[in-house]
Amino acid sequence: MNLLIDLLRDMALASVPAVGFALVFHVPARVLKYCALGGAFGHGLRFLLLKTDMPIEWATLIAAGVVSFWGVWCAQRLRAHPKVFTVASMIPMIPGVPFFTTLLALIEIQHRGYSPELLATAVASGIKTLFIVTSLAVGLALPGLLLYRRTPVV
Amino acid sequence: MNPSTKDPAAPQARPTLEVPAQRELARLCVQTGLLLMQHGAESALVESVVRRLGVALGADSVEVAIMANAITVTLLCGSKSTTTVRRNEDRGINMHMVTEVQRAMLRVEGGELDLAGYRARIEELRPLRYPRWLLSVMIGLSCASFAALAGGDLPSCGLVLLSSSVAMYVRLLLASFHFNPLVTFFVAAFVATSISVQGVLHQIGGTPKIAMASCVLLLVPGFPLINAVSDMVKGYVNTGLSRATMATLLAASTCAGIMLSMRIWNVWGWL
Repeated sequence: MNLLIDLLRDMALASVPAVGFALVFHVPARVLKYCALGGAFGHGLRFLLLKTDMPIEWATLIAAGVVSFWGVWCAQRLRAHPKVFTVASMIPMIPGVPFFTTLLALIEIQHRGYSPELLATAVASGIKTLFIVTSLAVGLALPGLLLYRRTPVV
Repeated sequence: MNPSTKDPAAPQARPTLEVPAQRELARLCVQTGLLLMQHGAESALVESVVRRLGVALGADSVEVAIMANAITVTLLCGSKSTTTVRRNEDRGINMHMVTEVQRAMLRVEGGELDLAGYRARIEELRPLRYPRWLLSVMIGLSCASFAALAGGDLPSCGLVLLSSSVAMYVRLLLASFHFNPLVTFFVAAFVATSISVQGVLHQIGGTPKIAMASCVLLLVPGFPLINAVSDMVKGYVNTGLSRATMATLLAASTCAGIMLSMRIWNVWGWL
């Protein structure tokens, strides 16, 4: 029961940035609900997969892939490319804090001088960012890689 | 040309476009590609839309070369070819434009629009712009949600709401004066961190460090990062690398803003 409440809270909180960033990307108003649904569903699915001790990059890949297949299904009804709303749905899963941590650690190495801890922080956060972003993009590309190999999605 | 004089085994004869019509179509194709590139479409989509448009309007084939900030289109019609190049300048991500351009192309493919109709449709398109206050409030709420997801308590989330909204407003205001995005992101990061640092200085909430980390998340270049990897996965390595480099530069500029603010207030929220 606690897990269900946590999941619903996670999905509700994830849908807000999906819509917020969709507005920044100027997604048409009628498509915004798809951004919210995709954001909530993707982040919720990743939350559940992380609970099963799956590594974060695999959980992200699966969540992004599932949202992308659903996005293709919606896109064919909307007559618009799925990226129009699926990228906004991925925003809650973007590793923003590790990305900035990487660069801030590098700036600190310049300022304080080299230390193994700073370098370890920079490398670990940087690799984490790289893997998660790659998982998101490859997950979004899955329908094109697996089903729509020579034909356009819309 | 009389089709009956042709070899019956030849593939169905299509009337070849005359040179002026071919130039006209090349211009429309490159204009279409440019609109998509300027508003943040990934390279695979740009290429496929331009190609399908050209073929639907009578070209034998369309070749598209996409560079980091230019697009080349070559139209082949019979023995003649037309090539044209346009310089691309970024106009900011606008999915409304991408949707509308693609829908116009689909209507051409479906036979609902001819060349003149398509040109009229493309020329009357104006990018959708949401009001600045709405974007600021929604981005404030988004960053507050990020803080809540990261385990921030209510006062910290409130602080993030305030600092991110103000930073987003500053960012949009500076962008409207056509400042370089690197400058805009630097200033916005400085503003966001300077407001959220007050949580550490005045003990607002129990999780001020989460507030400091969350309030700058509006400046993560998420769309360019995803587009960068998507482009590279689909074989457009040069545009992908250029997008990734630009995203990293924007993030570096943001980090410089965070650092400056932390030095001025003498507070260490990160690391």
